Amino acid sequence: MKEEQVKPQGIDRRTFLKTSAAVGAVTAITGFPAIVRSQPKEIIIGSIQPVTGPLPDIGISMQRGNKLAADEINAKGGIKSLGGAKIKLLLGDNEAKEEVGRLVAERFLKDGAVCLVGPFLSGVAMAIATLAEQRNIPFVIDVAALDAITAKGYKNVFRCFPKTEYFMTSLGRYLDQIIKEKKVTIKRIALTNAGDAFGRGQGAAFLKYVKDHKLPFEIVEHIEYPLGVKDLSAEVTKIKAAKPDLLCPVARPGDAKLLIRELYKQRVELMGIISPGSPGWYEPEFVKDMDKLAYYVLDNVPWVNPKSSKFQDANNRFEKLYPGKYLDTNSGYAYTGVMVIADALERAKSTDPAALREALRKTNYKDHPMVGGPVVFDEKGDNINATAAMVQVLPDPNMDDRVKVVLPKEAAQAPYVFPWKQLWDRG
Amino acid sequence: MNSDVVLQLALQGFLMGGVYGLIALGLSLIFGVMKVINFAHGEMMVFAMFLSITLLLWGGLDPYLSLVIVAAVMFGVGYGIQRVFVNRILELPEAMQVLVLVGLGIIFENGTLMIWGGSDFSPKTSLALSSFRWGPVTVDVPRLIAFILAIVITLMVLLFLKKTNIGKSIRAAADNRYGALIIGAHINRIYGICFGIGAACVGAAGALLVPLMPAKATMGAPYTMVSFVIVILGGMGSLIGALIGGLIIGVAESLSTVFLPSSMKQVVSFTIMIVILLFKPQGLFGGKG
Amino acid sequence: MKRLYLFLGVIFLVLLALPGVLNNYWMEIFILIFFYAYLGQCWNILTGYTGNISLGHALYVGIGGYTATRLAMVFGLSPWVGMLVGGLFATGVGLVIGFLGFRFGLRGVYFVLITISFAEIGRLIALHLESLGSFMGLFIDFNPGFLNMQFRGNLPYYYISLGLLVFSLIVVRTLELSKTGRYLVAIREDEEAAESLGVNTFKYKMVAIGLSAFMTALGGAFDANRIFHLSPDRVMSMALSIEIILRPIIGGMGTVLGPVVGSFLITLPAEWTRAYLSEVGRPGLHMVIYGFVLIFAVFFFPRGIMPLLNRKLGRFFIKE
Repeated sequence: MKEEQVKPQGIDRRTFLKTSAAVGAVTAITGFPAIVRSQPKEIIIGSIQPVTGPLPDIGISMQRGNKLAADEINAKGGIKSLGGAKIKLLLGDNEAKEEVGRLVAERFLKDGAVCLVGPFLSGVAMAIATLAEQRNIPFVIDVAALDAITAKGYKNVFRCFPKTEYFMTSLGRYLDQIIKEKKVTIKRIALTNAGDAFGRGQGAAFLKYVKDHKLPFEIVEHIEYPLGVKDLSAEVTKIKAAKPDLLCPVARPGDAKLLIRELYKQRVELMGIISPGSPGWYEPEFVKDMDKLAYYVLDNVPWVNPKSSKFQDANNRFEKLYPGKYLDTNSGYAYTGVMVIADALERAKSTDPAALREALRKTNYKDHPMVGGPVVFDEKGDNINATAAMVQVLPDPNMDDRVKVVLPKEAAQAPYVFPWKQLWDRG
Repeated sequence: MNSDVVLQLALQGFLMGGVYGLIALGLSLIFGVMKVINFAHGEMMVFAMFLSITLLLWGGLDPYLSLVIVAAVMFGVGYGIQRVFVNRILELPEAMQVLVLVGLGIIFENGTLMIWGGSDFSPKTSLALSSFRWGPVTVDVPRLIAFILAIVITLMVLLFLKKTNIGKSIRAAADNRYGALIIGAHINRIYGICFGIGAACVGAAGALLVPLMPAKATMGAPYTMVSFVIVILGGMGSLIGALIGGLIIGVAESLSTVFLPSSMKQVVSFTIMIVILLFKPQGLFGGKG
Repeated sequence: MKRLYLFLGVIFLVLLALPGVLNNYWMEIFILIFFYAYLGQCWNILTGYTGNISLGHALYVGIGGYTATRLAMVFGLSPWVGMLVGGLFATGVGLVIGFLGFRFGLRGVYFVLITISFAEIGRLIALHLESLGSFMGLFIDFNPGFLNMQFRGNLPYYYISLGLLVFSLIVVRTLELSKTGRYLVAIREDEEAAESLGVNTFKYKMVAIGLSAFMTALGGAFDANRIFHLSPDRVMSMALSIEIILRPIIGGMGTVLGPVVGSFLITLPAEWTRAYLSEVGRPGLHMVIYGFVLIFAVFFFPRGIMPLLNRKLGRFFIKE
């Protein structure tokens, strides 16, 4: 045929025409030579976490989670739809300051980042989210809880972590389940929280949930203490005086340890501790340092799904890299955040921010290590399937295995214990 | 609020006040003698806490025992800091001094962060959980021991300053730097020792706090603040004042939780500071300041 | 003096034209330099010129930010107006602090401590006020537009911060040349002598603190609409108060250009060490270096950098 005689570079004319037409179309739309743009050698993603400042352990853990995912993608051949382009993860420290978070984000954008991930703290998340909106670059929030962030209707913001409202919905379900299954009566609840954005947010959300849903609990005491407090004796004295059935504390590891010790020393009788959702109760330091005293604390937190093979695989690698640490809620979501970005890149087949944003919007990502359904974002950017699990610290000769998922049953590693054994009866 | 709760709160505050007093003692010495506001005070204490924890984890030494070692190490550190950094700034305008001490505070805090990481450290110590009932109140044993030891150390420091030659030189230098220079006192050595003792006090306080609370690299700043309040209340340069001031602030902060949310505790301390500054700036026991 | 003004004029023109070649990241850095130089200059009005050191200036930043933002949220008032209201409010607070401090004769470290106390009490109260968002702070809506003092790009923020800085330079220079300014310097050098010469030191110190507070608050409103989140721990903290005083101290207190020079000298190395060291994986290293830089800056420039520059370059620029 005549066409076979006109073969530029070994491609037959029809294919060549088809390809050039496609190239022409893409070029017309994006305004850039499509060939040059569609096959980058590396895709830059900026990770911005609070590595220094008041929460360095969390910041480092998040960074490690981000990195674990990026390294895994690269080891498996990078983003295949973009010719095996590798992810280059820029690691940034927001120093727990909004201003620094914004500056680091600007630097990463200058360095060619097509997406940002981070930043754990809600204030910093707001600063970076607004920047993302200003520059029209997608921003995946791996962890940050305050509802206000997604309430702004920014189109570039996607949050994997459950917002506070979702925490409480899960908690309500679990409390209901516990009361029915264990046939107990809980009337009096004491609530405590640390005085930071997260603590107060959780505390207020819990109160609101109890009120809005007319739950049969009386909040007999609500105590707030400064973040970083080193002495909770006065607070526990007040708790004891209020004679609660249940203590619901929102605490970080430092205050969690202080609370337990004071509850022990002051002999406060309780049916147990159920936290509405806070990191203090499952952190390795808490579990190790408090030993038997940590047992039976229940925490309503988004968690890794121990029965998921994805979790087991990722966790093995994490434990090998960082002996003594395991993939937890924060690092798990940090890992998920980058995986979601990579998944979106695969589907977008492009690093163009608009394409990436569209792909993120359509995310339906099942292959993650957390408890809860696939990551699906609503129009505000919240992951509608994000949910909390109920974890409990249970006796086990191996300290690393003491924190177990007990609810929902599908993810449970062990049956839950409630009410608990008093602190001073544990030998 | 029933009286039992108030009593319990007062007792806890009182016992903690002993440790506060020890921390403030160090600051009072440093300020009283060298007129330097040690913005790194709390951060130095945290560093000492971590030293104590390290001795516990590696050598099994209980903090109440390693106290002596930690205090000695901190003495050396304090002496070194004074000779290398603080000495140079004694003649400079206050603002420059502030900057250097703030810089030292940053170095201590982030140095602690670099060496030990950012997690809370709360290792089990022998007496961490013991308590006993005494009438209507529960007495927290580690707190009681911290209180007793803090008082003992404070008295030792006071004796040292009153009775020994070095102590007397320190007090002479506090009263009159130039006078002391004229009579040949090795002023630099004296200042070094003075800062060293101040650091040792804060180091001992840190060791005493290890059984009581988790240590975190970034926890120092509120302690710097509270020691300022106490030093003002007690009177700049008055060591007894630091102790009594500590007890008062300890009780005040604890009792304030009866009618204020706990996170407003510090408002009470700062208000006390304002009132004292306005109406009795030399504090309860201070001289002409 | 002509040469100096000429030189400064050239620098100003360069700064005006700079955005043409800067990307967003570099503009962000300059914004930070200008902004902190501005705050430092405002602080300079009080401390550099009267010698009373304030370590609680963040309080005014917070008042400015929160007032302007709340007025915008509740009444839709433009932050351009809101910041003036915030400024007045801050002046009120500053005058109260000044009154207490000056009437009761607090000097030196005592004055420092009272400024710290008020700032901390202010921060703690703000942490508990629902109307200010308490612990969570205020999350500010992004509605770009000149009236809202919010913009999509960094360029407008660059010019506003540069404008604020130039404004503060003019204010301070005018103050320096005025009668009030001369009295302030007299007060700084020897307050008792000035008193004995019949100068109403109280009145002039109050003017200084009032003006300082007012201008600082304006900066707070600007900052709120750039970062979009206000929390007491960010805008009313000791940490911010310390950041504010660093630049004028290192640059040279009581000089017009000190805060500017200081700001360039601090902000740039701070960002470099952060950019190059925080990836090393040793958290805290860049902060330790920052601490050492501060210390050595004081060792090498115990009166700040401006006096040194004045000596070396004074003859060239300030031939009187």
